[in-house]
Amino acid sequence: MATRILRTLVPMLVAVAAGALVLVLVVREVAPHSWSGTAFATATPAPPFTGLTDDAGNPADLAAQEGKVVVVYFGYTSCPDVCPLTLSRAARAIDALGDRGDDVQLYMVSVDPARDTLDRLGEYLRHFDDRFVGLGGDVDTVADVAASYGVFFEVQPPDDTGFYEVDHTATLLGIDRDGNLKVIWDPDIEADPLQSDLEELLG
Amino acid sequence: MWIGGVIGGAALAFAILQPIKVLPRIRVAPGYALTDQAGESFTSESARGSVTLYSFAPLDCDSRCDEIFSTITEVRERAETEVDLGEAEFRVVTIALADAPDPSALAAAATASGADGDEWRWLGGSADRVRTVVGAGFRNFFEIEGDGTVEFEPGYALVDGAGVIRGEYRYRTVADDADKIVSQLGSLGVELRHSGGAAGLAYEAAHLFSCYG
Repeated sequence: MATRILRTLVPMLVAVAAGALVLVLVVREVAPHSWSGTAFATATPAPPFTGLTDDAGNPADLAAQEGKVVVVYFGYTSCPDVCPLTLSRAARAIDALGDRGDDVQLYMVSVDPARDTLDRLGEYLRHFDDRFVGLGGDVDTVADVAASYGVFFEVQPPDDTGFYEVDHTATLLGIDRDGNLKVIWDPDIEADPLQSDLEELLG
Repeated sequence: MWIGGVIGGAALAFAILQPIKVLPRIRVAPGYALTDQAGESFTSESARGSVTLYSFAPLDCDSRCDEIFSTITEVRERAETEVDLGEAEFRVVTIALADAPDPSALAAAATASGADGDEWRWLGGSADRVRTVVGAGFRNFFEIEGDGTVEFEPGYALVDGAGVIRGEYRYRTVADDADKIVSQLGSLGVELRHSGGAAGLAYEAAHLFSCYG
C-alpha cells in the first residue's frame, strides 16, 4: 500500500517541483527590469522644448533626438550643491556605458535665465561631460517647459553680497528612444543604478 | 504528469499574483510655484512625499463648487478612517481659477469652502501660470471671461508623493466621486505600504504589465 502511494506521490511531487522550476526560469527570463526610478508603463510623449535654445544658439528640438535616450535636468550654473552632484553622477553613469553612452543625450535646462548665458551654460556642462548640452530661454518659456516636466523653480531673495539661489525640483527625467517620458529619478540616485536604468532604456 | 505540474505551478503563481492591482501612473503632474491663502509660497515640491488631491475652482463660485467642496470634505473625513497611506500624509490643494488673486481673496474662498489652510490649501497665481498648471498640466478645462466670470469643468486629480498623477476624475459617472476617490486612495495606500522589498517588485511588475484596477 505504502509503495503504491509512494509510486503515485513521488512522480507527482517531482512534476510539481519541475513545473515550479520551469516557472521560475520563465519568470526570470521575462521579468521586467527593476527600475531605480519611477517608471511609466504607458507610452507618453515627452513634452517638447518649445521656445528653448541650445548652448550653440540653435532652437532646441527634442524630436530630432528620436533614436537616442534623452536625460533632462533642470538646474543652474551657480547651483551650490545638488546640481553639480547630480550632474557628476549622471556623467559617471553615462561614461560607464562606454560607446553606448554616445546614444544618451543629457540636457540641462537653466532655471536661472538672468545669470546663465548660453556660453556660460555650455562651458559649465563641458566640465562634466563634453556631450552634455545646455538649454536656455526666458523665464516664462522655461517655466512652461519646466511645468510640463513636473518641475518648479523659484528665485530666492539675494543675500548681502547680491548672490541668490534658485529653488528647483532636481529630479532627472529619462526619455526612451521613441521620445516617450519613461522614468523619473530622484536627484540622489547613484551612478550604478542610473547606469542600469539607462542600459534598459537603450535596449 | 509533467505538463500537469507546470499548469499547477502556473495556476498557483496566478492565484498569488493576480490580486495585485495598482493605480496607473498616468503622467507627471505639473510643477508649480504658487501662493497660498496665507500669502506664502507653496510649490509642487512642498507636496512631494504627500498624496495630494487637487481640485480647481473660481473664487466666487456657484452650486458646482458646493458639490466639489462637499466631495472633498467627505473624502477627507472618510480617508481618516477608511484609508491607510502608511507614512504618507494626505493633503488637499484647490487651485483658484483666477488671475493673481490677493491672499485675502484666497483666504475668504478657503474659509467659505471649509479649507483649514494646512491640510487643505487654496493656491493662486497669474492667469498664465494657472493656465499652464491647470489647463496644460492637469488638463482641466477653464476659461476666464473678459467680465471675470469663469467657465470650468469640475474635476479632481490624485497625485502621489513622487509627483505622478494616479487618478483623474473629470466626468460624472454612476459612482459617486467621493466613493471613487476614497476607493482609489485605498488602493494607493496598499501599494505605498508594500512598496519595499520583494512585494515592491511585484507591485512594480503589476505597473509594467498594466494590471490596473
